[in-house]
Amino acid sequence: MDVLLQALLNGILIGGILICLTVGFQLTFGVLHVIDFAVGGWVMLGGYAAYWASRLLGLDPFISVFFIFVVFAGIGCALGPLIYHVRTSRYARPDLMALAFTFGLFIMMRGGALWLWSFDSRSVDSVLSGASLSVGPVTIPLLRLSAFGMALLLGLGLFVLLYRTRFGMAVRAVAQNRDHAGLMGVDVKRVSAYVYGIYTGITASAGVLLATIYSVNPEVGVRYTLFAFFVAVLAGLGSVGGVLVAGLILGLVESLVGTYVGTRYSLLVVFATLYLVLLISPKGILRRGI
Amino acid sequence: MVSKPSRRRLVATGLALVAGTAALTALPAFIDPYSLRIVTGVLMWAGLACAWNIVGGYAGYISFGHSAFFGIGAYVTGILMQSGVGMPFLATLPLGILVAVGVAAAIGGPTMRLRGAYFAIATWAFAEMLMQLATVLDITGGTGGLSLPAYLNEFFFYYTMLVVALAVYLGAWYLLERTRFGYRLKALRDHEPAAEAVGIHTTRVKVQAFALSAGITSLFGSIYAYWVTFIDPRSVMGPEITDQMVVMVLLGGLGTVWGPALGATVLWVTNRYIWSEFGDTAIYLPILGLIIALIVLFLPNGLISLLPGGRRGHGVLTRLLRKL
Repeated sequence: MDVLLQALLNGILIGGILICLTVGFQLTFGVLHVIDFAVGGWVMLGGYAAYWASRLLGLDPFISVFFIFVVFAGIGCALGPLIYHVRTSRYARPDLMALAFTFGLFIMMRGGALWLWSFDSRSVDSVLSGASLSVGPVTIPLLRLSAFGMALLLGLGLFVLLYRTRFGMAVRAVAQNRDHAGLMGVDVKRVSAYVYGIYTGITASAGVLLATIYSVNPEVGVRYTLFAFFVAVLAGLGSVGGVLVAGLILGLVESLVGTYVGTRYSLLVVFATLYLVLLISPKGILRRGI
Repeated sequence: MVSKPSRRRLVATGLALVAGTAALTALPAFIDPYSLRIVTGVLMWAGLACAWNIVGGYAGYISFGHSAFFGIGAYVTGILMQSGVGMPFLATLPLGILVAVGVAAAIGGPTMRLRGAYFAIATWAFAEMLMQLATVLDITGGTGGLSLPAYLNEFFFYYTMLVVALAVYLGAWYLLERTRFGYRLKALRDHEPAAEAVGIHTTRVKVQAFALSAGITSLFGSIYAYWVTFIDPRSVMGPEITDQMVVMVLLGGLGTVWGPALGATVLWVTNRYIWSEFGDTAIYLPILGLIIALIVLFLPNGLISLLPGGRRGHGVLTRLLRKL
């Protein structure tokens, strides 16, 4: 029973971060209609940024995460117009070309990290590492709890931005219909670039949190791209709300399989579930996808 | 109807092919073993790129899971050649193809209902799933991998790859450019509902293309396993295999017969050059990524469109020159 409780708790805490990892991805798909293969690459680069910030500047990841958000949002804003250009180009299949483009970006990030920083895993230390809270039979590592809180904060900020500001209204308008939004005076190109920036910022921040809990190496990107796809497909591609449910499900599945079946099977189960969900219900379990 | 190319063009292509084949057949007599290995690699990757192109370029379905079929071929050969079973190499080839075609036909129906990005994600998930499976199973040797009986005859592998690659290209050219099958495939790539409306059984054609592509990929996987004599889940099912197939086709020219061969030659020679120059291939990956991004931005029809006689060759070349 205690083991089950602990597994459930771990699942929920990780699920919160996975939600943070996927909301930006979903937003990008909704607005730009691009499946970004590079999502795991942003997570990985965020982790490395936190590592170097703590190594060179002595910044705690929970402080540097704000700077990392800003820096990566800037990079994303600069990259956004390129992706918008590819997606709206006159190529025969702009959707597949955009997919290939982000695929290229992802290989570049993974390869660049391998080349610069080699295979070694690097862990990012925080003042909270090692401390934990005991509540009844379960122990809550403070690190995971704070990371969960930070992820919720970021997610909440995104929701406020989307539903309580004029900019958010423009974003939602573009997501509903790009042409009509353009006719109503929304600068579609600029909104798309900003959305891509917000997405890269929030995804890199999720990467910081994940790097403090686990560690970071060039190969983690593949895994997190997969996780983002999993959560997105389960939620229905483009549905931001569905992510809340799907992220928790993935967190719980991973934690429960890891506890009861064995960690080496957890990826197998995750991939098999993803494949089956795609075949059975490609619009997501809530049927809210585009 | 299948249109006939001009007689002159056909003769010219035929002559080029005969000359190329003769040159490739004579080649091992003139180069050192190290270069021979590189050329063998070029032939393998050219064949793999051609296989991927059948699904990616002609059917218009971007598959990120072809490493699965490469791995199936490699593992079928690897497992059947273990000392306990001891099958001869050539006998394992058809079995590998059979398994890959069976798997592709089984998953092809449901998977190819998914379009665009959904298909890409599904194939990717499938390939990663198989890789994880190969990691946890006992019969595949898990992460420890499998060793095959060594057969150290570079000439044998060179000629095997040559024969298979030539057969693949001639077969692909004939099937895709000269038969109704090729026309059906292109029709459904360009507009699937319209293709269905004129009476093409799109699901069947798509699955046939997928199975064909999987079979070819598996065949190369089998030969590769015997050639390198040691396989593990990462080396024969890892994402790098698919990455390279995709990039080679994009670089050469998506949906053209000879584009993949061109892309494979350029990329594999570059890879080996980097390897011999820097001692490892770490910098190769970022270059690969950069090439994809640049191709998508500036040369969506691939290198082959730069050659004279390419379908849009003139246009692209002049446009590029004007840009400079």
